[in-house]
Amino acid sequence: MSQDNEKYDAIVIGGGIAGQESALNLADSDQKVLLVEKDLSFGGKMIHLSKVFPTLDCSACITTPKMSETARHPNITICTYSEFTEIEKLPDGTFTGILTRHPRYVIEKDCTGCQDCEEVCPSVVEDQYQYGMVGRKAAYVPFSIANPRIAAIDIENCILCGACERACPADAIDFTQKTEKTRVNAGSVIVATGFRLFDPAVIRKYGLGKYKNVVTSMQMERQLVPTRPFNNVLRPKDAKVPDNIAYVLCVGSRDLTIGSPVCSQVCCMYSVKQGQLLMGALPMADVTVYYLHVRAFGKGFEEFYQQSRGMGVKYVKGKVGTIEEKENGDLILRYEDIRDGSVKEETHDLVVLSVGMLPNPEAGSLFAGNALELDEFGYVRQVDMLKNPASTSIEGVFVAGTASGPMDIPDSIASSGAAAAEALSYLKRKR
Amino acid sequence: MDEKIPTIKEMKKSRQVPDELKARVKEYGRIKKEILKALETKRGTIPEIAASTGLRQEVVTYTLMTMRKFHEIEVEGLDDMDEYYYYRKAEV
Ligand SMILES: Cc1cc2nc3c(=O)[nH]c(=O)nc-3n(C[C@H](O)[C@H](O)[C@H](O)COP(=O)(O)OP(=O)(O)OC[C@H]3O[C@@H](n4cnc5c(N)ncnc54)[C@H](O)[C@@H]3O)c2cc1C
Ligand code: SF4
Ligand code: SF4
Repeated sequence: MSQDNEKYDAIVIGGGIAGQESALNLADSDQKVLLVEKDLSFGGKMIHLSKVFPTLDCSACITTPKMSETARHPNITICTYSEFTEIEKLPDGTFTGILTRHPRYVIEKDCTGCQDCEEVCPSVVEDQYQYGMVGRKAAYVPFSIANPRIAAIDIENCILCGACERACPADAIDFTQKTEKTRVNAGSVIVATGFRLFDPAVIRKYGLGKYKNVVTSMQMERQLVPTRPFNNVLRPKDAKVPDNIAYVLCVGSRDLTIGSPVCSQVCCMYSVKQGQLLMGALPMADVTVYYLHVRAFGKGFEEFYQQSRGMGVKYVKGKVGTIEEKENGDLILRYEDIRDGSVKEETHDLVVLSVGMLPNPEAGSLFAGNALELDEFGYVRQVDMLKNPASTSIEGVFVAGTASGPMDIPDSIASSGAAAAEALSYLKRKR
Repeated sequence: MDEKIPTIKEMKKSRQVPDELKARVKEYGRIKKEILKALETKRGTIPEIAASTGLRQEVVTYTLMTMRKFHEIEVEGLDDMDEYYYYRKAEV
């Protein structure tokens, strides 16, 4: 471990929209901030979305300038592919912990992002940033708008052929890199570790994985962006242009049978959004949404929902029981029509499961002795939700965004502002 | 300028490549070759390529779309029914 302690006013853990917003608020108030992101790029889930409800603004167009502002801010240091753990509170009210930087096997300052290494690499694995719909190489730049936009070697899938190192014009590949650990001290901590996506493969009756034309809503987000995995919105089985698409809402939300009682708050509205985007991308397609309730609770949401109806998206109040595949890849949905209790069947050629949000369990293990308390659902516990919504069970540690519960982007940003304000006032009090 | 000493040698001292991974890389190469062979003289839709190679449709879709990402495949127009796109080998 490096002997020199690094010191900051605040450490923000998680570089999604919430972490970035907290870091920028603190940095603009002259605080030195370390932003720690475990992925190869910061940006969180938002960087991978198509457009955002209810305005239909392009998600990447909003996120990339914010990412550049965060990366360029003189008061912010960003460590990607890193983790900050074993955090302890010291008697003077400050915090200490271990920053672990994982090796990319690429010298960050030398890599130009030219992707020559990627071109020659023979090893292909599922691209996690396209949610498995296409492959990527073991030597790869994570995605086109990654920040930093530099390569990494996925050593677990590397066959050690050395082609990337020979091809790199900048001599940036370095297989001798090792994990680095540094002790870091800070005046306060903001936890912005975000959410996990529910994995619908556990609900076997929906057939995700088994039936290739059953996809998740996150896969559909990727199909709707310009940097999409396919050349259009297509079925993953046979690349047919779908013309009769079904949405199944509340997959992994409000469902005690899978231990997830919470409403994910965003699935209704992102499904309404995707329905509208699909009508634009595939003007001949029918889109049917199977729902229990449409929760259009925010400003402009009801109008957005009505707009989708006006565009021709069909809404069926029905609980989907099972999905079965036909020989041609089409899917038979068997559902209970809630209006009259009858069981009906309908055939669609693509089914989208609107997956819910789950807590990220990593938030609980950041602190030594798991000192940070979680609530009954597994999110970071807000000890004073009404008066100080960002306060946690540890004074001086604050929570931002979906680490405290499901919420959309505007609410994540508002919650991050609150976390930064509370952190600032803690820092001022302790000085 | 000094020639860079390959660092891959260092990694090879401490790491073994699992046989399963070697086999996977080989299999991807084989599927890729099959697809390119099917597109040697004519364009094809995914079901057509699957039928002529005997590969499963989803395997063709995944591999061909990955090849498209790396500029090895190009897209032509839709078929007469507006159902399937035609794909061809990219011109080098
Ligand atoms: C399919 C889908 C569509 C959506 N569409 C919309 C929409 O149209 N409009 C809208 O308002 N909202 C939408 N949302 C919701 C939106 O994605 C979230 O509100 C937003 O991403 C929350 O941001 P966050 O920063 O809290 O979390 P995340 O985006 O989850 O970011 C968390 C970050 O923390 C990092 N991290 C996690 N653990 C650690 C750790 N231990 N150490 C360091 N880093 C860590 C992660 O890698 C990630 O970068 C959608 C969600 C889904 C699933
Ligand atoms: S050494 Fe590994 S990462 Fe580099 S080209 Fe070969 S397989 Fe790909
Ligand atoms: S590691 Fe080298 S070849 Fe790969 S993107 Fe960076 S500069 Fe280009």
